Amino acid sequence: MIRSFTMPRLYYLSVLMGLLLPLASFATSPMDGRWRLDTSRSSALDGWSQWDLVITTDGTRVNLQHDMQWRSTKHTATTTVDTRHSSKVANFFRVEQRHMALYPAKGGLTTVKAAWIDGDRTLRVEADTPIEISQGEENMRIYCEYRLLEGDRSLLLIELHSSRPQPLVYRFTKVTPEN
Amino acid sequence: MRRLIPFILLTVCVALPAAEPARSAFVMRWNLDWNVAGGLPEKAMLLSLQGLANRKSPQFYVIHPPEYQWEITAPLYSFYERKHGVRFTELKTAKAALNQFSNAARGYVVWDPAVAATMNVAFTIAGLEDALVVTPALISTAESHGLKKIDDLRGRYDGKTDAEIYGDAARRYWARCNHDAFMLMGGHAGAVRMPGMADWGVRQRMFFSDLSANPKHAAELALAQKLLSQLNDGATVFGWHSYGKDTEEQWTTLLSGYGLKMEGLHNLPNLSFNCQFTFTPGFKFTNNHHTTPGEKLVAGPKVYLSFVQSDSIGIGVWTKPGRGKLPFAWQVTMNWTKFSPAALEYFHESATPNDYFIGGLSGPGYMYPNHIPAAKFPGLMKEARTLMAELDEQALEIMDNSAADGNVGNADLTKETVDRYYAAFPDVIGFINGYGPARTRDLRDTRPMISYDYYIDPRRPRSEVAADLNELIALNSKRPYFLLVHVRESNDVNSLVEVVKQLDGPVEVVPLDVFLKLAASRKTYTTRYQDPDDPKHFEGYRK
Repeated sequence: MIRSFTMPRLYYLSVLMGLLLPLASFATSPMDGRWRLDTSRSSALDGWSQWDLVITTDGTRVNLQHDMQWRSTKHTATTTVDTRHSSKVANFFRVEQRHMALYPAKGGLTTVKAAWIDGDRTLRVEADTPIEISQGEENMRIYCEYRLLEGDRSLLLIELHSSRPQPLVYRFTKVTPEN
Repeated sequence: MRRLIPFILLTVCVALPAAEPARSAFVMRWNLDWNVAGGLPEKAMLLSLQGLANRKSPQFYVIHPPEYQWEITAPLYSFYERKHGVRFTELKTAKAALNQFSNAARGYVVWDPAVAATMNVAFTIAGLEDALVVTPALISTAESHGLKKIDDLRGRYDGKTDAEIYGDAARRYWARCNHDAFMLMGGHAGAVRMPGMADWGVRQRMFFSDLSANPKHAAELALAQKLLSQLNDGATVFGWHSYGKDTEEQWTTLLSGYGLKMEGLHNLPNLSFNCQFTFTPGFKFTNNHHTTPGEKLVAGPKVYLSFVQSDSIGIGVWTKPGRGKLPFAWQVTMNWTKFSPAALEYFHESATPNDYFIGGLSGPGYMYPNHIPAAKFPGLMKEARTLMAELDEQALEIMDNSAADGNVGNADLTKETVDRYYAAFPDVIGFINGYGPARTRDLRDTRPMISYDYYIDPRRPRSEVAADLNELIALNSKRPYFLLVHVRESNDVNSLVEVVKQLDGPVEVVPLDVFLKLAASRKTYTTRYQDPDDPKHFEGYRK
C-alpha cells in the first residue's frame, strides 16, 4: 500500500522538481547585480576609464548591461543572450579598444550562443561578430567566460578573440551598499 | 654734434627691424609651482612683465623644467646662444626681473585670486595699458619698483558669472584689442592654472578669456561667438580651452566655423621672445625625403607600418630617448614660421635621417575642416600650401574630431571636405587623417588619403600595444596592408622599437612618404567618407 501510494507521488514530485529547479536556478543568479571593473587587476582598458557590468537573469535570458565612462562621457549598451538557443543580435556590445580601427559593421548581425556551465557558476558566451576594418569587413570570433569566483564577490571575465594572440582578462568586484 | 651721436645711435637702434636678433638678453629658470595659492601669482606677474619687456626687442626668456609640457625651452635656449649669438644673463628672482624690466610697465592692475576670471581681465588690461598683473599680495612689490595702480578689479566682479565678467570686459576693452588674434587663456582650471602663453597675449594686446564653447554655458558661448565673429579674416585663436568648462573638440569646432585657426597650448612659453627671431642666414628647410617627385613605388605582399606624431613636435617624443631609431613623421606646427622660427630651425637642425616632417593640422593652423565655411576654405589652404612649400613638406595631416569624444562619435571627413582637399592640394604626395583611429580613405590619381588605424596611448602597456597591432594585422589579412599609427606625445621611440619586434607577419616600418607612395600603388583599403549614419557625439553650433 505504501509503495503504491508513494510511487505516483514521488514520480509527480520528481517531475515537478525537474521542471521547477532549473527555473529556480534562473530566477535569481548570484551573478545578478552590478559589478565594477578592478582596473588594477585587469587587462588595460584602452580609452574607457570605468566599466560597470550589470547582469540580470530573466529565465533563460541574461542581460549584460555595460555602463562605460571616459571622463564625462558615459555610454550604456546592453546585449541580451539566451541560454536556450543561439540568437542574432543587432547591436552586440564588444568592449572596443578605443584606439583600434575596428568598428561594428554597419547593420551587422552577431550570432551569439550562451550557456551556463560549471554548475551555473560560469556563463559562456560565444559570438561571431562582423567588424568593419580598413580593408572592408571581417568576422571576429569572440569566446567569453563570465566566471563567478568563490565567495560570489568577484567576477572574472576572460575574453578571447580569434584575431588576438592573447586573451583579455577583466576582474570585477560586486557593488554592494557597503562599497 | 658729439651730443647728437648718442641720440642718432639710439634712433638707429630703435629703427632696427623687430626681427633683428638681440645679442644680449635675460633668462629666468622657473619651477613647476603653478598653484593659485602658491607660485601662480608671481608667475602671472612675470608673464605680464615678459610680454611688456619683449615688446620692442627680445629681452626676457624663460626656461622651464624638463617636466614642463613644452620640453624644448632649455634646448632652444642653447640654440639661441649657439646660432643667434645671444648672451643671456640669468635673473635669479622676481625682484631681479623687476629691477631689470619694470620700466617697461606704466603701472599695475590688481586681480583677485578668489574670482578666477579677473586674472584674464587683468592680462587684457596689461596689454592695453602696459601694466603688470598683480594679486593684492604683490602690490607692495610693484610699488617698490615705482609702479602706480592703473586698475583694481577687487570687488568689481564679486558674485558675477564668467559671462557677466567677460561681457563687461568686452564692453570696456574689446574695441581696443588686437582683432587678428584672440587669447583663449583656459587650460588648467581650479587650484592650478598655467597661463604660460600670457606673455604673447600681453605683447600683442589680445583679449583674454576662458569663455566656454560648451552649449550648456549658453551665455558664455554667445559672447564667444560674438567676439569670434568680429575677428579679422585669417585671425588666430591662441591658447587652449578651459579644462573645467568645455572640450578641445567644442572650441576647435567653434572657431573653425568662423574660418579661424587655433594655436595652442595655453602654456606654450616664450612666444613674445621667439617671434622676434628669423631663421639664421642661409638656412633653408630641407626635409628628409625618401622618394623623388614622380617616383613610383610598388607595394609587395607585406604589412607596411608608418609612425606619425602630431601633438606638435615641441611636446614629448622629440626629446625622448631613441629618436632616429625608427622612421617617424612629425607634424609641424606650420604657423611657427611666423611665431617661433628658431624652434622650427632647431627641430630641423636636430633631425635624424629617419625624421620626416609633414604639414598640419588640417590647414595653416589647427582647424576642423568639416566646419570651415566653404568660401574660406580655398584661402586658408592657399596659406597652408605656402607654409608647406617653405617647410619643404609634401604630405598633409588632417584632423576633425568635431563629432568625436572618446569612444563615442567619429573622426571622419565628409566627402565634400575630401573633395576640397583634393582640389586644394594638387601637388602633395598624399593625406593622412585622424588622431585616434578614423575611417576616411580615398585614392585619387597618385594621392592616397589614409586614416590612422591605431593610436598609441603612452600609458598602454607595450605588450597590449603589440597585441593590438597584431590583431589589426590579423584582421586586415589582404597584403599589402597599410597600417598607419599615430604616436601620442610622451611615448618614447625605444619602447616602439620593442613593440615592432613583437609584431607578426611580414612587417616593414617605412617613412611616411614611402608609405603613401606604396599606398598609391595597390589599393587594398576601402574608399570611405563620413557616413551620415555614423554616430556623432556633437552636431556643431548654430550661428
